[in-house]
Amino acid sequence: MPSLMILIPLFGVIILNLVFAVNSRMKKAAFWLALAIFSLQVVVAVFHHPALWNDSLGRIDSFLNVSFFVDHLSFIMFICIGMVSIASLFVARYGMKDEDDIFKFINLLIMASIGMSGIVMVKDIFSLYVFMEITAVSSFLLIAFPRSLESLEGSFKYLILSSIATVLMLTSIGILFLAAGGTDFDAIAAAIGASYENALVLAAIGLFICGLFIKGGLVPFHGWLPDAYTAAPAPVSVLLAGVVTKSAGIYTMIRITTSLLPHYQSVNNILMLVGTISIFAGALAAIGQDNFKRMLAYSSISQMGYIILGLGTGTILGIAGAVFHLLNHSIFKSLLFVNSAAVEKEIGTSDMNRMGGISQKMPVTGTTSVIAFLSTCGIPPLSGFWSKVIIVIALWQAGQYAYASLAIIASIITLAYFLSMQRRVFFGKLRAGLENLKDAEGGVLTVSVVLAALTIGIGIFFPFVFNTLILPVKEILVR
Amino acid sequence: MIAFLILLLLICGAYCIVVTRSMIRAIIGIELLIKAVTLLIIAAGNMTGRTATAQSLAITIIIIEVVVAATAAGIALWVFKRTGTLDVRNLRNLKG
Repeated sequence: MPSLMILIPLFGVIILNLVFAVNSRMKKAAFWLALAIFSLQVVVAVFHHPALWNDSLGRIDSFLNVSFFVDHLSFIMFICIGMVSIASLFVARYGMKDEDDIFKFINLLIMASIGMSGIVMVKDIFSLYVFMEITAVSSFLLIAFPRSLESLEGSFKYLILSSIATVLMLTSIGILFLAAGGTDFDAIAAAIGASYENALVLAAIGLFICGLFIKGGLVPFHGWLPDAYTAAPAPVSVLLAGVVTKSAGIYTMIRITTSLLPHYQSVNNILMLVGTISIFAGALAAIGQDNFKRMLAYSSISQMGYIILGLGTGTILGIAGAVFHLLNHSIFKSLLFVNSAAVEKEIGTSDMNRMGGISQKMPVTGTTSVIAFLSTCGIPPLSGFWSKVIIVIALWQAGQYAYASLAIIASIITLAYFLSMQRRVFFGKLRAGLENLKDAEGGVLTVSVVLAALTIGIGIFFPFVFNTLILPVKEILVR
Repeated sequence: MIAFLILLLLICGAYCIVVTRSMIRAIIGIELLIKAVTLLIIAAGNMTGRTATAQSLAITIIIIEVVVAATAAGIALWVFKRTGTLDVRNLRNLKG
């Protein structure tokens, strides 16, 4: 059954191009088809009934020769992917007026979501590479979508760095293939366990992790990320920040470190170091930005640092905190990017120096963005507070007192840049020339309100969400 | 011998990406790097006696790499249409 998560969207794309491409009325209906596909994905992932997942499809699976598996971490990623894709879909309908553009966008969006769904289900390091490339190629095309010089630049930078990451990971796959004689996670884990101190195997691990750092945009390798996020059209920024870097970089890192390298303390030390550097570099760079989207991009880097820091503890609590922060971050960062899309569309720029006091004219956008930013900074009782607290407690329990203190100090910098953003964009006196401003369309506002409600809801019902959704993730450690 | 070839291709590709200012040459550099890695996987399959697996992996890599190269060439083409050159020094509008 897990292969249906790939097959249904794939047939969706085929039907989209065979049936829905005939005339403009059908092209408008493509939006609803995509919405149905993504909603289905969210619904089956939220109510993950075991009967639905354990059976294989028999003949279809053996024909396709695929072997997927799902666990609770995959369900969380499915929820993120579906939710952020829906948000991106609504922003696209609001931001793009040309039907043909929306139609092409929907095709690429579904392809990207197929790639990400594949990433979270594979149990084979080579299939992981294949699905990563599907996601990456769709993202290149999505970033370059407006074909302006900026978007082409952002896309080309991403393409070059992503290809370098691919080369690093493929080199690593080649070496591990040599050592293990196969590309299965189990075979590779056994081979790594057997040749523990082999220099070649260690080099392969290092190369793979470097590749994942590039894909996830963590600090020594983050050069492409702010450019790509800023240059991409608004719905694509939502998608990139919400799930693409998370599933291609962070999820894979969680999967690789827990299932392939459980006994390498040095890997954990590197993760914690890179995480802390990312937190600080991202937050400090975010303070100096004038562009709304660019500031959010640096803030993303900083929050990715928290996830990696939690992962680096290597304990159950740390990994649960990392996964929880991943879920929360994909909710509130997509909310912020949806809001930035609304502001950019209504004002016509994302330069923060030309905004001011727009909360008066865009009350829903203003209010939801305050909720999202409070959650990012870790103000109780919003969702971001709980995940950060869990990460800090896990660090403290693991004896990493310095890292725990640094994580808390960095929260203050987060507060600083977000307060400065709120003051310049939403609060204060209305800037001259913005008197005729009005709030965004109903669809986008609904998405904002739903995402804000999720941020508040996860925060208030934290024990329930944590016990039912996040804590079962610990099964990945004892596999 | 094969290790030497792989290393040579890797160095050529990396040098190409670092030195060049032309988008097309950067794409060719990436291609060289991926060719080196494909060779590595074929060599690994040969050494472990799993040539069939290595073959299928190599073919998959070639297919994916063609898609990436086509996308990159498309982006380069649009940059050429917008600016009239393929010089990467034109791609410096995004800063901060």
